[in-house]
Amino acid sequence: MSAPRSSSGYWMGFAIVLALLAAAPLVLPEFWRRFVTEILIWGLLAMSSDILIGYTGMISFGHSAFFGLGMYGAAAALLTVRPPNLWLALLYGLIGAGVIAAFVAYFATRLRDIYFAITTLVFSQIFYVIIFTWTEVTGGENGLTFRQPPFSVPAVLSVPFTPVTLHWFVLAVVALSYLLLRRITQSPFGMVLQSIRENEPRTRAIGYHVERYKIVAVMLSGLFAGLAGVLYAVQNKFAAPDFVFFLISGEVVIFNVMGGMGTLVGPVAGAAFFLLLREVFSRFFTEYYLIPVGVIFTLMVVFMPQGLLGFLRRRLNQ
Amino acid sequence: MRFGGLTALNKVTFSLPAGEIRAIIGPNGAGKSTFFNCVTGVLPPTGGRIVFSGEEITGLPPHRISKKAIARSYQITNILPGATVLENVRIAAQSRHHSWSLFRHHRAFGDLIDRARAVIQAVGLAGKEDELAANLSHGEQRHLEIGIALATEPKLLCLDEPTAGMSPAETQETMTLVRRIAKDLTILIVEHDMQVVMGLAQRITVLHYGEIIAEGPPAEIQRNPKVLEVYLKT
Repeated sequence: MSAPRSSSGYWMGFAIVLALLAAAPLVLPEFWRRFVTEILIWGLLAMSSDILIGYTGMISFGHSAFFGLGMYGAAAALLTVRPPNLWLALLYGLIGAGVIAAFVAYFATRLRDIYFAITTLVFSQIFYVIIFTWTEVTGGENGLTFRQPPFSVPAVLSVPFTPVTLHWFVLAVVALSYLLLRRITQSPFGMVLQSIRENEPRTRAIGYHVERYKIVAVMLSGLFAGLAGVLYAVQNKFAAPDFVFFLISGEVVIFNVMGGMGTLVGPVAGAAFFLLLREVFSRFFTEYYLIPVGVIFTLMVVFMPQGLLGFLRRRLNQ
Repeated sequence: MRFGGLTALNKVTFSLPAGEIRAIIGPNGAGKSTFFNCVTGVLPPTGGRIVFSGEEITGLPPHRISKKAIARSYQITNILPGATVLENVRIAAQSRHHSWSLFRHHRAFGDLIDRARAVIQAVGLAGKEDELAANLSHGEQRHLEIGIALATEPKLLCLDEPTAGMSPAETQETMTLVRRIAKDLTILIVEHDMQVVMGLAQRITVLHYGEIIAEGPPAEIQRNPKVLEVYLKT
């Protein structure tokens, strides 16, 4: 087995990227500092959906629901518990996303391919409508605003976030999530998911209860998407129904395709690339920015179907 | 077994003693594949019972059938093309142990790797462990197909045309392979190549339009007038 040879190179690369991302807020101006933090959060969302798209071969158009429930779960904790507590926001957000993910997983995994995708889309739109119309609880169209919780270690310290420390916190959560997701994709469970992607009937025939694996995959994916939602809520101090809308789910799929499915880091790169394109083009083309972004996306799909980091796929998955 | 108005298998009463190599033959459309699909859970039978090792398994889904120690290979090669040979076999072995482990690397489970390597050796693919399954030759893929089935530790192995599309030399190799693995297994084999059937099977069951028209040792089947009429002559 060739693992040890390439793994030192892998960890070197990981350390360099991590160091650059940690140093970024110290050198970047305010606007770009925020931008990099946001990229990490969208990257985590994209990474969570890669578990389904890239590893299990199920395309979810419902990740906005998990992300949004993470946001609203965090909002619930930050608005009801005094003083606002970061870890409670995390817990509520994960519970919110987890419950919804279990619900969606139970029904959607009975279907395959396009039918699975449509079912996730429909579920996420149902949650969107509920959140949009249930004004007394969710704030309806206006969403909810709240104060940012301080970073706290119970009974030890409690310090308010600065943009730089918030960035480091987000970076730490995203990096740990990445390592955990990577480990899961390489575990026996993860290998079953990849076997389902490669050949579902055969996976069934060698003794795997495919639906159960898919349900757990959707739940895991939903939990990490919810985690991204919590981070976004903490960074921006609001939860809004727009983030539950299916446009977000579509962007997540685009991040995956652009960056390289089935690599975990590819979708993060895809998110960075897409958000950067949008930022740059919206300065020149204002509201027409989607036209050049769309052209670039189309060209990438035609000439670079593996995405930005797809060429690293085998090495990243060893 | 019926599909709408078509009765694909009718009153097939069939029993297979442990340790036997049994061949099922019959012209195209005789119901051989349907029979396999019923036994391995791909199609739930519309009537009748299937009993394996004293346990009723009628209509169980494929993953449950597999857990009962029944494995199959496919007429059309059915492997994980994007995975290595080792992974194809390892994942099959894993279906019996450790499959719900989430937080350890899959290579940390040495028992599975050892099992996979032993199977790869047994099907004659030693040295090809790290090749992508898609890059193997047709004959090698057919052997991998059998390897995947073997790795699930079956007691009954159903081989659906294991020599389909093979050269005569490859066919010989496959026959040797089947004979070798048959020592600890019961084997049910569907095959068109009469040489293979006559060379391997201890007994032969002949299906025609979904019904059994003859059953017996190869020599007897070759002389059976009914069989000659519907099958061997053509």
